[in-house]
Amino acid sequence: MKSASLEMLPTAEIGDYVLVHVGVAISKVDEEEAKKTFDYLREIGEVGELEDIDEYLPKTE
Amino acid sequence: MKYLKEYRDPVLARKILDEIRRTVTRPWSIMEVCGGQTHSLVKNGIIDVLPSEITMIHGPGCPVCVTPIHLIDAAIDLAMRPNVILCSFGDMLRVPGSNQNLLEAKAQGADVRILYSPLEAVAIAKDNPTKEVVFFAVGFETTAPANALSLVHAKREGITNYSILASHVLVPPAIKAVINDPLSKIDGFLAAGHVCTIMGNGQYYPLASEYKVPIVVTGFEPIDVIQGILMVVKQLELGTHEVENQYSRIVREEGNKEARAIIEQVFEVSDQVWRGIGEIPSSG
Repeated sequence: MKSASLEMLPTAEIGDYVLVHVGVAISKVDEEEAKKTFDYLREIGEVGELEDIDEYLPKTE
Repeated sequence: MKYLKEYRDPVLARKILDEIRRTVTRPWSIMEVCGGQTHSLVKNGIIDVLPSEITMIHGPGCPVCVTPIHLIDAAIDLAMRPNVILCSFGDMLRVPGSNQNLLEAKAQGADVRILYSPLEAVAIAKDNPTKEVVFFAVGFETTAPANALSLVHAKREGITNYSILASHVLVPPAIKAVINDPLSKIDGFLAAGHVCTIMGNGQYYPLASEYKVPIVVTGFEPIDVIQGILMVVKQLELGTHEVENQYSRIVREEGNKEARAIIEQVFEVSDQVWRGIGEIPSSG
């Protein structure tokens, strides 16, 4: 087992999934955002066309 | 947690590739900025199944391979000194210096240690108070915070025999240098997701609007990379040049404030030589 520093991620809690880079946790994985990719894919899988897919793409804020 | 292995699903990958094929109407050149993305493109065979209109340009170089030769030589020189323990990431050991690499120096008896994290080097310094422990610290913005943190740890614990040989490189100045090269014909960029995890997306808005290039912050799994390419191609076909975030499950718009603060506390920006490219202003 490897240890990881949480100093750069003070809001991390037990149960969170985090991205660890060279021994330091640098980001929490956001499950809602992760889901968006698959909403999008489900849509193009069903429709097989381009229409109406943009709303499912991850957006920049 | 869901949505981990799903990012490697070949059926889903094929669906997005089909979508790219339906979208593209003319040739485009796209640069993926991070070697991790190049690795994903090659290892997963993505590069072979992209439509022929799309050319992926790999660059501008990873922090390991662009580390200037004089710093490799300096690291070898330090490593050969009897009172020094030289530590670095494993992939630094094979990079050629002027006469040899760190692995060959190790074979000749130098105390060269491969570490997973710079924080381990601080522990080595603590355990070896009669030695000077040097961490050969390379990396993009992603790795710089951990390298900085090792120095903060050493200072906090009163360890005085720990130092780093720093060779950090910054991504946005390199993208700018690539675009400004008269031979460059790059139409769009996949920005490095893990760099943006630290720095946020803010640095890319002026680049996208000034140079009219789409920039999509992209992850590293096969689905990430293929979706990033689709997002760039859609923009190119529409003639837009926005910054988009494909990797939003990891990258927050503002990045990681704690990590940025420690970079600013420990390092300052300077001109940097990129091996194979030359000096890029304010890029290290």
